[in-house]
Amino acid sequence: MKTMRRFCLECGRLLRSRETWAVLLLTLVSPLAGLWLYTPATGTTMLSVYLANPALAGGVIGGLLFALLTVVEMDRAHRCRADVLLDAVASPLELARVRLAALLAVAVGTTGLALLLWLPAAALRIGAVFDGADYVLAGVLFFGFSLVLCTLAAAAAYSLTQRLDLSLVLVAAFAALSLTVWSDDWQRSWLSPGGVWALSDDFSNSRLFRSVAYARLSWLAALGGVWGLAYLCIRRQGRGLLGSLARSARRLYRPALALLLVGVSAFAYAAQPFYDDSNPDLSAMTLYEQEIAEGVVCTGRTADVRPNPARGTVQGAATYSFQNTSGQARKIAFGINPGYEIRSARANGEDVPAVRTGYEESNMALVEITIPADETVELVLEYGGLPRDWNLMTVQQGDPEISAEYLCLENQTLAPYLLNVAGEGEPIPAQIEITLPAHMTALPFGAQQAEVVRENADGTVTWRYAGAGPGGILYAGDYVREDVQAGGITVQLYYSRKHEAIMRQADAAGVVEAVVEYCTAHYGALSFGAAGTLKLIQGRVRGGGYAAAGASLLDEADFTAANLADGQKGAVPGEVMLHELVHQWWGLGNMFDVETADSPWSAEGLTVYTTYRIVKELYGEEYAQENYVDKWREAVQDYSLNFYVRHPEYLTALPEAERLRIENSLSTVRLYSEMPLKILRAQELVGGEEAMDEILRGLFNREVDWNAPYLTYPEFLDACGLTEEDLDLAQDLDL
Amino acid sequence: MEIDIQGVNMVYPNGRQALKGLDLPLRSPSLVGLLGPNGAGKSTLMKLLVDALRPTSGKILVDGRPLAGNERSLKSRLGYLPQDFGLFDELTAAQFLDYMAALKGLRNAKEAVQRALREVRLEEKARARIRTLSGGQRQRVGIAQALLGDPPLLIFDEPTVGLDPEERIHFRTLFSRAGQERLVLLSTHIIEDVQSVCDQLVVLAGGQIRFAGEPAALLRAAQGHVCSFWERQAAGERSLHVTARVHTAEGVRCRAVAQALPAFARPEEPTLEDAYLYLLSQEERP
Repeated sequence: MKTMRRFCLECGRLLRSRETWAVLLLTLVSPLAGLWLYTPATGTTMLSVYLANPALAGGVIGGLLFALLTVVEMDRAHRCRADVLLDAVASPLELARVRLAALLAVAVGTTGLALLLWLPAAALRIGAVFDGADYVLAGVLFFGFSLVLCTLAAAAAYSLTQRLDLSLVLVAAFAALSLTVWSDDWQRSWLSPGGVWALSDDFSNSRLFRSVAYARLSWLAALGGVWGLAYLCIRRQGRGLLGSLARSARRLYRPALALLLVGVSAFAYAAQPFYDDSNPDLSAMTLYEQEIAEGVVCTGRTADVRPNPARGTVQGAATYSFQNTSGQARKIAFGINPGYEIRSARANGEDVPAVRTGYEESNMALVEITIPADETVELVLEYGGLPRDWNLMTVQQGDPEISAEYLCLENQTLAPYLLNVAGEGEPIPAQIEITLPAHMTALPFGAQQAEVVRENADGTVTWRYAGAGPGGILYAGDYVREDVQAGGITVQLYYSRKHEAIMRQADAAGVVEAVVEYCTAHYGALSFGAAGTLKLIQGRVRGGGYAAAGASLLDEADFTAANLADGQKGAVPGEVMLHELVHQWWGLGNMFDVETADSPWSAEGLTVYTTYRIVKELYGEEYAQENYVDKWREAVQDYSLNFYVRHPEYLTALPEAERLRIENSLSTVRLYSEMPLKILRAQELVGGEEAMDEILRGLFNREVDWNAPYLTYPEFLDACGLTEEDLDLAQDLDL
Repeated sequence: MEIDIQGVNMVYPNGRQALKGLDLPLRSPSLVGLLGPNGAGKSTLMKLLVDALRPTSGKILVDGRPLAGNERSLKSRLGYLPQDFGLFDELTAAQFLDYMAALKGLRNAKEAVQRALREVRLEEKARARIRTLSGGQRQRVGIAQALLGDPPLLIFDEPTVGLDPEERIHFRTLFSRAGQERLVLLSTHIIEDVQSVCDQLVVLAGGQIRFAGEPAALLRAAQGHVCSFWERQAAGERSLHVTARVHTAEGVRCRAVAQALPAFARPEEPTLEDAYLYLLSQEERP
């Protein structure tokens, strides 16, 4: 009761201090810096731009401000010599505890205030995809925790040194460590969570928030423990650091508790459950070079997969049917997600040991199971756990996402992946069942379709689909499906229900139809539009899309409200969507070789050009000229007059951040305006649109060398029979 | 309340011995005056009593229990005003006292704050920010915080520094009243303050107790050792310890203490200051 009253009084005293209000107000406005000054999240989703970055920036700035406030307030009694009065009525240790508690309360209160203050602006700016839970979690984890951790770190520094200047130096050095050498390390970056590169607008972010919360709580324990040890060093009874430590540590529970917290954090650091220990040698192929189980073939496999969306875990049972003609027991190698455990392995009804070798590679842990010499063997594996992501991905946290809104289970994360046994002359037939919340749709990534086989009493639904091969990818989410007949195939467009308003506004189905019709007619059918259907699946943000036979993944970042309003890609949102879909033909980024940093050649040039051609066909020449060609010309003319283009030597003299900003802006003009103009000029030189279409058809259908699948600029020029000089725009544009 | 200081030695980390084998019983109610020259160990003794320092050896018992390990009990019954202290300038006098009342864990904090403000005559400044108060007013806030909650043990180190004469008299009376019910330890250089109110005196010098007892006993010890004389009469006289010189029309009249009074000197009735100085002069003799 007495402590509570002291705490309330200390809070009241703090709130009467001008410094507290200055720090509080500056912290409240600090998220603004995340819009342009400090933008660690490079993702272009609305939540990345208008939630993650402001929260991260606010966390760093607010955290440092709170560290300053903490040191100033901890030192205040000493500075104004009130400590002799206070220490006479209460223990310096208790006073330090109460002061810290009050500062933490102010930090927590500031977090709450910031959440309330920025709520309307964030909701307005983020628009239809705003999500209250994401908002609160980002606010608490990215912003609030920074204030709390900085307060703890500063309090620890002051307790240890009992000097304002030294404490500030210590905290500054510790913060600098986090912002520089540890900045990309998701566990060590204590001031601002590392690896937060994007937040999903249309799906959930539970995995990202989980790993960030884990790192934040680990640091809370670590700094709590460090503070607990530093607290013992608070000078008392005229003693120095060591004397005070010895005196305060006499109550053994104090150092024991502090050491326990440090120990817990060290354990949490070492035993983190989110990333694996895959071999850092990316060229290692140990798993794929396992000794083949001679005389053994797999005649089929099934998996019953049960994700737990609330926990982000997976439980499953996989059955493998083997024919063993060797007459001997054979060692079968499986790759499982390193976060999973094989809970039981039974071969023909008998328990067999599943030996985890400890070796991990390419996000797979090697498990060896010896099957008996029986001619037919049915091996049943029960597995599950919290899936771990590949340790390469710590700088891009967020996968694998498993929630009630979205999940993506790939290969070994879906079911144990058979490594050293092939099918009987054909890919292993597979039948996968997955049980999901009723509102989710299961989407196997490929030509196969999943169907509902059971509606369960607990409100879940079991889906089943057939597959082939040892692995497979499954997406599931709260999807809207639109079927579009175009280019002789049925395109199944799946997008997040959360994104429905934006997709409908952009006439997604109409755009898909237009693009598929046009591109199929002009360049040829998509190689991955197998069996007459193509699934276009909007996936959670992951930095790009990819395709397989019968399915193509569209990154949600390409369909954000902001991107759809980007005038450089299309005149209206529907045209930007059109642009993004044209990328299904003209590469998904890695299909184009960028020769030099200032080269205009990339997937964007041909994509923008094709978009222009489709728009011209849809809306007429005048519209296309005005909204595309004229704008390209204008942008390129401005570009040629740009000071830094004419005097690049001044660009190199600028601070790095400013230089990068200008370079990015100039690069955008080269990719989105200069190259389309060059292709347009090439079109004129090769004899018009039809001739250019023929050339592009040839390039699209060329035989691709998959070791170097790039379409290079020289290849394009050769196909046109032109040289770089032929496409010089200087004369055309009167530059 | 009973405090027993038993064989206390205090040696600072720099090797300076501030207190040497101190034995001192303090009983409530009493107003104990603590006198001594600079460096005598007065402040060190006070810091030991408020647990701001721990003795190198010896022990301090509070109501029969060692202070070490029972600090909380002592602090809950203590009012302390150190010689050199500060206040939170951003608070008002009343807010600061309220804060201190909370730290002391007082139940009727508001009432206690009002009473303390009344006792130090600062009611009209209750809502003034501390940064706007004069030096004397800040000193009174310091005294008020010590008085909060009527603690049974009051320790004041030079409490009347910076106060005008009228205020000094007021506080003397206040301390005297407090000393009728509680244990008050008053350290001061102003002998006048001690003389008028203390029922016990402790004189410290060189870290040791030179006198502990009633003021009358100290006065008695100086009886016959105080005199006055004309300065011109004492040329070459080295046995006299001059305590005052007064310029008059007839010359400079001196007051002095001495082990043996010279013939030319006129014996005087000793004051407490004389007695104190006589005591110290005895210590200085080889």
